[in-house]
Amino acid sequence: MRPLRCVLFLLPLVLGAQDLKEFEKKVTEFTLANGLHFIVVERHEAPVVSFHTYVNAGSVDDPSGETGIAHMFEHMAFKGTESIGTRNWPEEKKALADVEQVYNRLDDERNKGKRADPQKIKVLETELKAAIEKANSHVVPNLFPQIIEENGGVGMNASTGLDATEYFYSLPSNRIELWFLLESQRFLHPVFREFYKERDVVMEEYRMRVESSPRGKLFQSFLATAFEAHPYRVMGTGWPSDIRNLRVEDAWEFFRKYYVPANITMGIVGDVQPSEAKRLADKYFSALPRRPMPPLLHTVEPSQAGPKRSDVYSPSQPILMVGYKRPDEYDKDDPVFDVISELLSGGRTSRMYADMVRDKRMALFASSGDTFPGGKYPNLFVFFIGPALGHTVEENEKELYALLERFKNEKVSEEELSRVKTKTRAGLIRRLASNPGLASLLTAYYADYGDWRKLFTSIQDVEKVTAGDVQRVARSCFVPEQRTVTYTSQPAKPAGGAQ
Amino acid sequence: MRAALPVLCLLAAAVLAAQTPAAKPPAARPAAPSYKDLKYPTLRPIQIPPVATFTLPNGLRLYLLEDHELPLVSGTALVRTGNLFDPADKVGLATVTGMVMRTGGTRTKTGDQLDVELENIAASVEAGIGESTGSVSFSTLKENTDEVLGVFHDVLTAPEFRQDKIDLAKTQLRSSIARRNDDEHGIAQREFANIVYGRSTPYGWQIEYATVNRIQREDLLGFYRRYFFPANTMLAIRGDFSTAQMKARIEKLFADWTVEQPKVPAFPAVQRESAAGVYLASKNDVTQTAFVVGHLGGMVSDRDFPALEVMADILGGGFSSRLFRKVRTQLGYAYSISADWGADFDHPGLFRISGSTKSASTTDTIQAVQQEIERIRSGEVSESELQIAKDTALNSMVFEFDTKAKTLGRLLTYEYFGYPKDFIQRYQKALAAVSRADVLRVAREHLSPKDLTIVAVGKPEDFGKPLSALGAPVKTLDLTIPEPPSEKAAADPGSLAKGKQLLQRVQEAVGGAAKLAAVRDVVEVIDFRLDQSAGGMKVKQTDVWLEPNHFRQDSEMPFGKISAYSDGQSGWVHTPQGTGPLGAAQLKQVQGDLFRLYFRFLLSDQIPGRTVTAVSDDTLEISDREGHSARLVVNSQTGLPEKVTYESVQMAGTPMAVEDRYADFQEVNGLKVPHKITIERGGRKFADLTVMEYKLNTGLKPEDLKKQP
Repeated sequence: MRPLRCVLFLLPLVLGAQDLKEFEKKVTEFTLANGLHFIVVERHEAPVVSFHTYVNAGSVDDPSGETGIAHMFEHMAFKGTESIGTRNWPEEKKALADVEQVYNRLDDERNKGKRADPQKIKVLETELKAAIEKANSHVVPNLFPQIIEENGGVGMNASTGLDATEYFYSLPSNRIELWFLLESQRFLHPVFREFYKERDVVMEEYRMRVESSPRGKLFQSFLATAFEAHPYRVMGTGWPSDIRNLRVEDAWEFFRKYYVPANITMGIVGDVQPSEAKRLADKYFSALPRRPMPPLLHTVEPSQAGPKRSDVYSPSQPILMVGYKRPDEYDKDDPVFDVISELLSGGRTSRMYADMVRDKRMALFASSGDTFPGGKYPNLFVFFIGPALGHTVEENEKELYALLERFKNEKVSEEELSRVKTKTRAGLIRRLASNPGLASLLTAYYADYGDWRKLFTSIQDVEKVTAGDVQRVARSCFVPEQRTVTYTSQPAKPAGGAQ
Repeated sequence: MRAALPVLCLLAAAVLAAQTPAAKPPAARPAAPSYKDLKYPTLRPIQIPPVATFTLPNGLRLYLLEDHELPLVSGTALVRTGNLFDPADKVGLATVTGMVMRTGGTRTKTGDQLDVELENIAASVEAGIGESTGSVSFSTLKENTDEVLGVFHDVLTAPEFRQDKIDLAKTQLRSSIARRNDDEHGIAQREFANIVYGRSTPYGWQIEYATVNRIQREDLLGFYRRYFFPANTMLAIRGDFSTAQMKARIEKLFADWTVEQPKVPAFPAVQRESAAGVYLASKNDVTQTAFVVGHLGGMVSDRDFPALEVMADILGGGFSSRLFRKVRTQLGYAYSISADWGADFDHPGLFRISGSTKSASTTDTIQAVQQEIERIRSGEVSESELQIAKDTALNSMVFEFDTKAKTLGRLLTYEYFGYPKDFIQRYQKALAAVSRADVLRVAREHLSPKDLTIVAVGKPEDFGKPLSALGAPVKTLDLTIPEPPSEKAAADPGSLAKGKQLLQRVQEAVGGAAKLAAVRDVVEVIDFRLDQSAGGMKVKQTDVWLEPNHFRQDSEMPFGKISAYSDGQSGWVHTPQGTGPLGAAQLKQVQGDLFRLYFRFLLSDQIPGRTVTAVSDDTLEISDREGHSARLVVNSQTGLPEKVTYESVQMAGTPMAVEDRYADFQEVNGLKVPHKITIERGGRKFADLTVMEYKLNTGLKPEDLKKQP
């Protein structure tokens, strides 16, 4: 239908395909009988290897009343196993059971609600403290991460997102087997020791990320306002009152349900022989029992009935967040949203930077995000703006709407569009240079789309986006009835003073 | 058991020949093996690629490293400069220079044109100046190398510093200043560093509205010219190219860059002074306290640096460190807690223990930190602690060499700071030799509990145990950001209307606009006392004003009388040394005083050419077409003027922020007039004024004022 355009786009398309073909030679994939999938990429530039475990379950899977459990489990995954981190497993096992037993009695009493006996609760609390101390006396603290560190592991960490939980680190390549051993033991024989101390740590993390952070408070209110039913409405850190009551059994239930081999993808990138990786995977991970896939999340966010707004009082300088409902990342228009975000806020030529930061100088920063807070379910296209000194959030909000109206009314130029496509393609090439980055990307693309090649073919999807697509999607997305606005503002202040 | 592992020999350069080759892994066993039974093959040697190094005829040093894995080319020009060279009254100059070098465009192209050109080919050229380095860097797909190198060359050698982007950069910096107290961790780190280095030193001072406002294009040009010249520049390029061709290209491209400048001096030295104390910054919107405990650290070149790194790692490095175990794992008090010896390459860095904890456990946590500092100084660490720390460092050393970018970056850093090329290999050897006795010795020699600076940012009402339990007086940190003296407020209709309203409230409060407008002349006798810090001098001063712009001042100084007169356009000054015309700076001062004359200033909404805007609920900004501008802060209870802030013209040098505080209002002809005025200049108390006598409308004539003594 449009022969000219096809010719124009032929070159980048061919290049994309070549990149993929070249890259494919370095990739080996295999799935164990229990369903656990491995992606191995050879990069022999240096004797190092990066590992990435992608669990296709996250905070959206937190049961009601147990928000934060996916995150809590992630913390427990560093607490060791039946053989790592204990001075005497049989004794410790008994002591841990005692802790749970006392805690059950305490909960039984607390569950009486108004009729609970405060005296009894006090006694049980003291007893619980003693039981915990006793269990802790069997622990070799932090041995699991320590083994990784002393073997030269770097970049060790984990993250719990709304959609997924990830565990990752890199090792010198002569220690590959250590990762197979530790990672398999982590999921074969986990021990949730020091659970209730770690719960305090997770509470501290909540205080740091949410309660004591203006941005955290903004995000929390924004999500709870934008989503009414879908679990995207709760940040991964969970609600403090839920966190304070999480129990070991909750973590076990979450683990059994979601940490199923077929729900986990592992990426290994670096100085590794695929045959060796396969041999070690069989040796260490075959013992994981095959289990049924976790249930799908059925809650669907009802369609929004009108614009929403929330205010967060904060003495800090104002921040503005605006979001519009958009479909999930499997939608055919997903690449169009990528392009829109890049047009609006990618680089100094972008619409928002040029208008709000550079020319009108009303914003210190003005960015957009095509997917927030996760992508697997219908989510939000967001704008995040910090007004410049002397300018208000209201002014910036107004300007954003005017900018979006212009964007909806006039088609973007071919120059703008092809700039975005070039940047997307170059961006991919730049991402191929990092072992940990690749391990993370490939596992995520496999888990989300069923094929890591989507990392490359998604570039081709972007190449196909037209100015008409951009306009069509912008017009259907950026409408008031799909909008949520949250900003931080200062409550009526007494008199002067920065804080 | 761990000693059997080949842990000390990750590098090609190191001695790894004697190690046993790869042990064949045992046949698959049914039970899970112990990690202790794993046998690791020797790590294969790392090929550290050679970097080709040249010095071009113009003095530019060039470092080239081929990297053919991906079709990319990137490079960095490292320039010996930094914000340590900022003038004290223009802190931020280096930062603005670095920003606008790129955004302000080149001689032939504006920054906006460069943005489009570069982004069209997914390339970047960026510039920046940090504490002790300046850099211009680029990154491009191989196919666009020539084009991007051209832009890179122009940005490095011929930046234009266009005014619109200077204004933008200053706006951005001011907005960042306004936001600097929003994050408690940021506050804690900043205040700690400023206290330890000293707020009056280049390491400890900070960018303020006033210092940004003074920065002009001339300053940028001067700063750029002084530091950006070929002999002061190292250029490193890595990527998909041939060394010979790239060398020829660069030689040709930079042949026109021939400017010379004297050698750049050394960076200022750090003053070693104890800044011991407990400092508290209140922040009421948090549930957690961010804290930093530490003091001045050392340099990377110190003989004890390797042992200090081991010591800091055992104290608060990773999961197995003492602080992590104690504060996070045992007490559950913190999510983040870490210690860092923090040496710098060319000046003492900061030894820091940083963390955060819920408000209620603030003091307990800091005490636990202090105890751990004491503990590591009072006895040897265990053999296993030492081994873990050394294994951790040595086994991960391979990651220092896993990309060509790191190899080139390290070489550049060593050359820049004058370190030997093989510094990391020497460091590795020294690290392997560190003993338990060494760790104890360096902890005793370099950690000084009596010199600890403790900074806590949080909500003190919720601390439970107060910070004073730490045993030292608690000093409160004032985080108030000094107001910009002459920043123009946006004159939108809303703030204009609000401004008029607020000013009318002031007019009402002092006695009414009609009474103010009725004032034709003023005689004011003042007792003027300079603050002790400003010399402590006492002056009796008589100020006389007659509308519209006649102004006379007679001052009785200890060394004689000074009189001055101006009609607003010109004037004379009489001193014991003789009479002469008013200088330009003096005239400006008089014009400023006329602009702010109490009775006129409060009537600004009725004076043509003046703009009155509200910048907040209690602050007005008043300006005129001549460029005068001042802010009036109104007392929200009484509606009376509380203070006036403005920038005063100095006899020499840059303008200074001045603040006049009003008190002791007494009625004169039915108008409330302040009889006590306190003046602050540059944030310091400058003088106290007491009005001895006020006379209004005495029927003065211009001749009465013009008469020379």
